[in-house]
Amino acid sequence: MMDPMRSLLGRVLLEEITPVVMVLSTPLAEEACRKNGLNFVEMLLPFSVFNKIDVPVRTASDQPYRLQMFKLRLVYASDIRQQDYKVAENHLKQLVSDAANAALSDLQSELPQLDTILSETELNFSPSWIQTFNKELRKTVSFSEHEAFDHPVACLFVVSSNDAQPINRFADLFNTDQLPSLLNDGVMDPKILKQYLLLHENHDGTMDRATGILAEMKRTFGSIDCRLLCINSSAGGDGELKDNPWLNVKAHMSASHEIGSFLNIDDLIEIKEFMQELSSKHIIPYMEQKIRFLNQQVSATRKGFRNQIKNLWWRKGKEDVPETTSAQMYTFSSMESQIRVLGDYAFILRDYELALSNYRLLSTDYKLDKAWKRYAGVQEMMGLAYFMLDQSRKDSETCMETAFNTYLKLVPLAQRNATRCGLWWAEILKARGQYKEAAGIYFRISSEEPPLHAAVMLEQASYSYLFSKPPMLRKYGFHLILSGKRYYVSDQRPHALRTYRNALLVYRGIPWNFILDHVHYNIGRWYAFVGVFDVSVKHMLEILACSHQSVTTQDLFLGNFFQTVENMGKIFEVNKLQLPVVNMSSIQVIYEDHRTYASFADVNVNENLWKSLEEEMVPLASTIKSNWLESESKLSLKKYDDSHVCVVGEAIKLDIEFRNPLQIPISVSSLSLICDISGKSEETKIDGGTSSFGVNDIEELNEAPSCRSRIGDASYVVLSEIDLVLGGGEAKRIQLHATPKIEGVLKILGVRWKLSELVVGYHYFEPNTKKKHKKGKRIARNSSGGILNFIVIKGLPKLEGCIHDLPGTTFAGDLKLLRMELRNQSEYSVKNMRMTISHPRFLIPGNLEDFNMDFPCYLEKQKFSKCMEAPANAQKFKNLLFYFPNGVTIEGGATFYWPLWFHASFSGKISIYLSVYYEIESCSSDMIYRTLRMHYDLEVLPSLDVSMHITPCPSKLQEFLMRMDIMNRTSTESFSMQQLSCVGDQLGISTLPANESISPLKVLHAGQALSCFFKLKDCSKSFECETGLAFHGKDEKLDAQGSGKVLIDVSRSPLLEFHQQERYHQGKTAEGGISNIDFILISKLHDNTSTGLHPSILSYHACHCSITNEIPLWWLMEGPRVISHDFSVSFCEIDLELTICNCLKTEVSIRIITHDFMPETKLSDYLISDSNFNQGGWHDVSLANDIKEISNVQSEKLSSSSSQSISPFIWCAASSTSVKMQPSSTANVPLRICIFSPGTFDLSNYELHWNVQSSSPSDEGRPGDDAMRSSSGMSRGHPFYLTVMQSH
Amino acid sequence: MASTACFIIVSRNDIPVYEAELGSAVKKEEAAHQHQFILHAALDIVQDLAWTTSAMFLKAMDRFNELVVSVYVTAGHTRLMLLHDSRNEDAIKSFFQEVHELYLKILLNPLYLPGSRISSSHFDTKVRALARKYL
Repeated sequence: MMDPMRSLLGRVLLEEITPVVMVLSTPLAEEACRKNGLNFVEMLLPFSVFNKIDVPVRTASDQPYRLQMFKLRLVYASDIRQQDYKVAENHLKQLVSDAANAALSDLQSELPQLDTILSETELNFSPSWIQTFNKELRKTVSFSEHEAFDHPVACLFVVSSNDAQPINRFADLFNTDQLPSLLNDGVMDPKILKQYLLLHENHDGTMDRATGILAEMKRTFGSIDCRLLCINSSAGGDGELKDNPWLNVKAHMSASHEIGSFLNIDDLIEIKEFMQELSSKHIIPYMEQKIRFLNQQVSATRKGFRNQIKNLWWRKGKEDVPETTSAQMYTFSSMESQIRVLGDYAFILRDYELALSNYRLLSTDYKLDKAWKRYAGVQEMMGLAYFMLDQSRKDSETCMETAFNTYLKLVPLAQRNATRCGLWWAEILKARGQYKEAAGIYFRISSEEPPLHAAVMLEQASYSYLFSKPPMLRKYGFHLILSGKRYYVSDQRPHALRTYRNALLVYRGIPWNFILDHVHYNIGRWYAFVGVFDVSVKHMLEILACSHQSVTTQDLFLGNFFQTVENMGKIFEVNKLQLPVVNMSSIQVIYEDHRTYASFADVNVNENLWKSLEEEMVPLASTIKSNWLESESKLSLKKYDDSHVCVVGEAIKLDIEFRNPLQIPISVSSLSLICDISGKSEETKIDGGTSSFGVNDIEELNEAPSCRSRIGDASYVVLSEIDLVLGGGEAKRIQLHATPKIEGVLKILGVRWKLSELVVGYHYFEPNTKKKHKKGKRIARNSSGGILNFIVIKGLPKLEGCIHDLPGTTFAGDLKLLRMELRNQSEYSVKNMRMTISHPRFLIPGNLEDFNMDFPCYLEKQKFSKCMEAPANAQKFKNLLFYFPNGVTIEGGATFYWPLWFHASFSGKISIYLSVYYEIESCSSDMIYRTLRMHYDLEVLPSLDVSMHITPCPSKLQEFLMRMDIMNRTSTESFSMQQLSCVGDQLGISTLPANESISPLKVLHAGQALSCFFKLKDCSKSFECETGLAFHGKDEKLDAQGSGKVLIDVSRSPLLEFHQQERYHQGKTAEGGISNIDFILISKLHDNTSTGLHPSILSYHACHCSITNEIPLWWLMEGPRVISHDFSVSFCEIDLELTICNCLKTEVSIRIITHDFMPETKLSDYLISDSNFNQGGWHDVSLANDIKEISNVQSEKLSSSSSQSISPFIWCAASSTSVKMQPSSTANVPLRICIFSPGTFDLSNYELHWNVQSSSPSDEGRPGDDAMRSSSGMSRGHPFYLTVMQSH
Repeated sequence: MASTACFIIVSRNDIPVYEAELGSAVKKEEAAHQHQFILHAALDIVQDLAWTTSAMFLKAMDRFNELVVSVYVTAGHTRLMLLHDSRNEDAIKSFFQEVHELYLKILLNPLYLPGSRISSSHFDTKVRALARKYL
């Protein structure tokens, strides 16, 4: 805690609560002074402050002490009155306005940092004029009647030596009508100390007359109180005074050289001596004396127990006296006034103890009297006295609070007094470090004052918050804002601006958006008032994207912004303008180097997909590089590793999203890219350092786009410009183009746009917000600053292409001829074309001749069709690489067509990717090839489900029965069956004799199912296999009428190739064999009613239908069926032959056992579970059940026959024969039976036991096929009925 | 229901995560920023006061003219601040307690990042319902 004297408040009190000397002067005396540009009071002003007066004083209780600092207040008698309210107000206003100019110049400077502010003291930081303002504000209530410290202590009469009859003049001066009302009204004692001063001007006469008058004065008024003061000794006009003492005091006076120009150094010394004498010899002793006198009087009447009781009793009686009379109640002679004078004098002479005791005495009196204003005044002084004594903190505060509250109760009468009291109080608190409380006081004062005063008070409150410990920055900011608002209301815009700007220190960057908007908006607005438009716009920019505000506010903000910009009178360029918002993560750059795209949708396909597709087709990356190096171009492309290549004349497209954050529509025009292109020649210059490249870019990013030279750019690069209107909250994705026109390096730096034709916004793409780029087109991820750099190379041909007639939706099985169109729009021709197709199952390239043929008629079977066996190349089943014939080139400007065959092989959604590779004819460029990528999505609807089931025919070797189940899966369409073909050399297909009656249907309606039966024959034996006729006789027309239709040759080109694809995809192996068989079903859409789809032909490929049995053997008993025999002669002996066929590729050993009776056991062996039996991809549970039924029938038969315990025939020869069979061989085993009586016999009571020699090495090759069979087993014989008749 | 009330949840980093004007009075354009100013400034007081007491509910700890700021400080130093002109302390306390419960439920949501803005409309309706009930 500092010494209260040294605190700000202490110094202020020492300065302000000082004796008042009333000055009365004659006009001539004033005139003498005015020669120096001063009036009399002003002339004495610099000398009325004594820093070290060193006067001994005694307290009332005879304690001696010395006064050091002392001050006199010289006031003209006419000024000793309460100031007129209006005048005072204007005076204060002027004071603030003067300071405003200083504030205005301050606005240009940068805001200081918060830390530096906090390290300063409050006095240094808060503007100095605020203290002056406080002082002036306090002055407005001086000379009040209820306080005595403003009452004049002495009266100084000044008469010029030039006055006629100076003595009379002195007497006239003290004429009552000139005296202030305080004296006249009897508020204060008119008997005050009088001093008489004769003012003599040296240059206008000798001292004689003056000394004469002085002598007379001394005679009249007493020698002590009269003095002579000589001034204007100097001839004048030289301005010889070195340090003019008035400069500090009257700084605002204009021509300073005139001030004191007639005074020389002697005059100054004389004035100084006069003042010193006046205060130390007259005023202080007079006051001291008066204190003693009054103290005695008070002690006599008021001190002591008796007096107090008396006083109390006396005051009780006056209780009903109305308040209003209280002013008149206390005249100077009243006890209360005298105590007050005593207290105030003691306070002035710094005998605070005495002052306090008297004030205390007085306050109880006033309280009892309900003289509230006086009571408050006394309380106020008590508070100050307590503070100066530095004894009781709490007491001073309670006193100030009582005073303040009491004054407030008297508002509006004592409102200004309350303010003064509050100011004292706040200062007391501040002196004690209680800044927070002080701020509260300022805030309370502010609510009582007019706006301008309130503004100053609130500003002080804010400083108090700032310097409280710890600093309350938010309160600081808030009170600055409150203060700024009041400044604005009272028309002090510079001040308002200043406070808001300071508040911004606190609010900058906080996420409280309404606050920020308010602050920025007002600062912006007020800067515009002041005429500083650029700063204004800067602040306005902050509030543009105010999506949280209401529509009206948004409108207001935007309107103000535009108005400000318009007032500025020039196009304003803003980096990162928030209107509209650029969605940086949405940036997508599409450019075409050697990869080109047929349509925009193709760009979004994953690059890896394309890469794997093109893997085989394009030259390796390393070879490209070597080609680049070989080319004579001086470009060392290595250093542009990060850059990307694009082609002159081809647009680089940049997709970017703009969003309007507001609810009101905004118009954006001239939306374009900011590009920088440097030609080839310039480029060689930069060859030196790659590093500097990046640095340049970053510097460039700081300047507005208009700064870059755009001259000539238009001829180098063509930029698209887009105008659009974004509705409230709308987001739009915009595609911008930049088309380079010269070779060199193109840098895409950012985007620019015009908002409402007034503001240019621009946004540079920043290095670290680098976009994920999803697409084929790499987005430049650039290590040298992240700018999108492109190397622009010479113009190249570019193919554009599409596939015509490719349906979006189709039925499975659809077979079509499509046309691929390739256009070359450049002047160069392209050659060496290749193409890859991702799904050869769906799409295969045809031959040029295919266009000339009439599909599907040409597929019809001709007499001598050739079987075209394409080589089964496993590679081509994944991605089909197709080389266009060597001669194929596309000339510049030409259009080229190539046929493609389409077959919808399965249902579902499918994406087909095509990539066409081509090389450039005149290869002088850096790029030798390009690819065209195409991508199509299509949906295939299910149409017919086809499944086959094949069972061996029990009665014939190498014959099969086949059942085909067809199901129409569509809901509306009908299909007509055309033809079923069996592919492969080994088997032929034919209808069963009863077929016509079983499946008369040729049309399958929606949802219907159909089963057909066919017979399969092994024709590799019956026809000596000629490859040329391989397919003959294997097709079966399903058309019952069939006569008019011609069969379709399934060995013709598209069908054959598609069939190979199907074979590959449906089965694990592409190898054919007797065990697997493929079918092709061809159908047509019956009537295309509803869908509008017109598939002409649908083909279904059922591949790998298994015809293998569960047993590795085929056998057939051969022999006579009907025999006549004369049993009377002998029994009948019949030779039979069992033909056994091993259909395995391994050796099998077989044992044939014949029984003469039916064995009962092992029935289960026969019924080898058949449901897990491979059916080559076409599997139907219902079919398996059928087999079971069949076998059940057989087993019943067996059991019935086994009931006969003894058969009427016996097997001759050995009962068991073993045969070892080579792979795929046939063996004949002779058998013989003896029959003893005529009848019909079932010769099925034999068994075949077989055992596969698994050790065979060929097993390893095809484990899959054999693994499904048992390695050994037993089969019963097929039924064979023999009828023997008795012959005669 | 009070004629003016503004409720804000301020995260521990002094970022408002939820704001609602709850008063039944007609909304003035001025009000939004004024309320934010008052509540923002009141944070200074909360900062002082929060560590002097173990209670979560700091009743009427700051005032601006006739508007009073009541604050509820959660254990995680999230501050629920209410600017109001009604005097019913008990009701405000219950309001805070229930909103605190709602806030905890928001925090339990694994998809909610603590300190981010609460955009749940469910939360908003619940808070407004509570305001109707208590304020």
